[in-house]
Amino acid sequence: MSFVNIRDVTKSFHRNTVLNRVSLSIEEGEFITLLGPSGCGKSTLLRAIAGLNPIDEGSIEVGGRDITHLPPRKRNVGMVFQSYALFPNMNVFDNIAFGLKMDGLGKDRIRAKVEEMLAIIDLKGKEGRYPHQMSGGQQQRVALARSLVKNPTVLLLDEPLSALDAKIRRSLRGEIRQIQRRLNMTTVFVTHDQEEALTVSDRIFVMNHGVIEQAGSPSEIYTSPVSEYVARFIGNYNVWSREQLQGRAFRGVPGEGAMFAVRPEAIRITDAQAQAQAAADTAPEGEGIVADGKVSLVSILGNIQRYEVEVSGLRVTVDTLSGHAPDRIGPGAEVKLYIPAEEWKPIRPSA
Amino acid sequence: MAGRGSSQRTVTLLLLVPFFLWLFAFLLLPAIMMLISSFRNEGGQGFTLGQYAKGLTHPLYTTAIRNSVLLSLFSAFVGIVLSVFAAYSFTTFSAKARDRMLSISNMMSNFSGVPLAFGFMVLFGTNGLLTVLFKRLGLPFLAFDLYTWKGLALVYAYFQIPVGILMIYPSLYAIRQEWKEAASLLGASAAQFWQRIGVPVLLPGIVGTFSVLFANAMGAYATAYALVTSNYNLLPIQIGSMVSGEVFPRMEMASSLAVILFVILTIALWINERMLRLARKGL
Repeated sequence: MSFVNIRDVTKSFHRNTVLNRVSLSIEEGEFITLLGPSGCGKSTLLRAIAGLNPIDEGSIEVGGRDITHLPPRKRNVGMVFQSYALFPNMNVFDNIAFGLKMDGLGKDRIRAKVEEMLAIIDLKGKEGRYPHQMSGGQQQRVALARSLVKNPTVLLLDEPLSALDAKIRRSLRGEIRQIQRRLNMTTVFVTHDQEEALTVSDRIFVMNHGVIEQAGSPSEIYTSPVSEYVARFIGNYNVWSREQLQGRAFRGVPGEGAMFAVRPEAIRITDAQAQAQAAADTAPEGEGIVADGKVSLVSILGNIQRYEVEVSGLRVTVDTLSGHAPDRIGPGAEVKLYIPAEEWKPIRPSA
Repeated sequence: MAGRGSSQRTVTLLLLVPFFLWLFAFLLLPAIMMLISSFRNEGGQGFTLGQYAKGLTHPLYTTAIRNSVLLSLFSAFVGIVLSVFAAYSFTTFSAKARDRMLSISNMMSNFSGVPLAFGFMVLFGTNGLLTVLFKRLGLPFLAFDLYTWKGLALVYAYFQIPVGILMIYPSLYAIRQEWKEAASLLGASAAQFWQRIGVPVLLPGIVGTFSVLFANAMGAYATAYALVTSNYNLLPIQIGSMVSGEVFPRMEMASSLAVILFVILTIALWINERMLRLARKGL
């Protein structure tokens, strides 16, 4: 029995089904991410766990307690909002202490708990500040502390980093993960940013049109997408249908499967002429897929060098680590592409 | 560049000259004349504090001051309470319905003075539509005398509400749904949310609106005059009758009463400012 059990949750707004019999379970202390584009139902699911959106059908159980029909304030779940949602008329201390006051705790215990939290979020000495006197990153840390101080059974994070700039976003997501591990806090994180999801999660649930398209560890999701939707959403996958490949210069394509996904960094690119000269050194081609093409574009994305290669009119994206590809390969170069058989992933086409 | 900047500034200032002239001729100059006149004897001679002494001690004038302050406080209070609830309900409407209600409030806020007084007379006057109707229906207790404090209070509250709605609406609109959600997840009931977050956040807006409504009522003349002429003793009506109503105008007494009115409003604004500073702490 898992710590959080969501069973067959269904929710519609104006006859538009936003959650369609969604089921998932989360272990205690696990950090899971609901990932998907806007409108996929991830925030609605999170708000359903919080009790902010009542659900039409299904059940939600946390720590062995059925909370499906409880009002938000009886659920003991913590939530952090994208817009921080700090109370503007209260300083940092009072914001963090709010939930404890609502629970009727004594002043001394409140002070002790708030100070403990301030130490965790590294804002000691700033307890007198008001929200408008702080940066977005600081405000979000206060919001996190405000949720955590009540020791909730589940922590819900609704795109908490989306309003912050890139640098703060990266450092804060690391901080959130660290605090979550330290407190062994069961956490549900909602984001549309696949990089964020891959970096922080124990498990990822990719959502699409109100259903969970794929669930798995970050490396499973990244290396083995099950559908066209996940492959297109998760990275820069090359996604081809069998029809697209037919009649083009690919050799060794497996006989089964209607659609395929290949990670750009799994493709080996070599200069066609150099290949011919040093044929003996290369990997045996029999176990993979080989294609001949012509480079149309080379771009540097920091540590990645990206090639756009035309294989009889079909575009193939190839990534290498910057500085690790043969220098001679520039736009117009004839190249040979090699894809190991295990990197050629058959996927389910999406509507 | 510096030369061009300063010449540009000169042009800007020149463009403001008509405005300042206008301000001087129709606001500053009359105010100064009024202030001077308030220290003169009847007949406009000499220097005396007698007009003020009379204004602050004579029962006729102290009653007028008291009536005006009480009526303004009452109508501002009723106005603020009702407009807070009305404006809050607007925030829950769809955008279209909300805009329509705000337009109606805007229109109603301009419906004041003599037309409003006549509107009330037609409905609630001695032979008003509703008065007659209530009597015919055997509900005479619903009819009341419009030409008394009660009637004035009703009419004043009526013209305060749309003004109040328009002024308080932006503050209510700024109350964010996420605050309510966050508070409820932290264990607060709806009442606790309003007590600890909603009302404190709204307080500057409420206090500011209250003082505007108070000033609005203190200075209201046409509505009161059309309704009760001189049957009810109010400060603006006293001032008006001295300037234009009596056989011999008493400009000096009128001036001193006007200065007293001005001082009351200044005190009200000062209190408002102090309260705002308290309420704004942290906002």
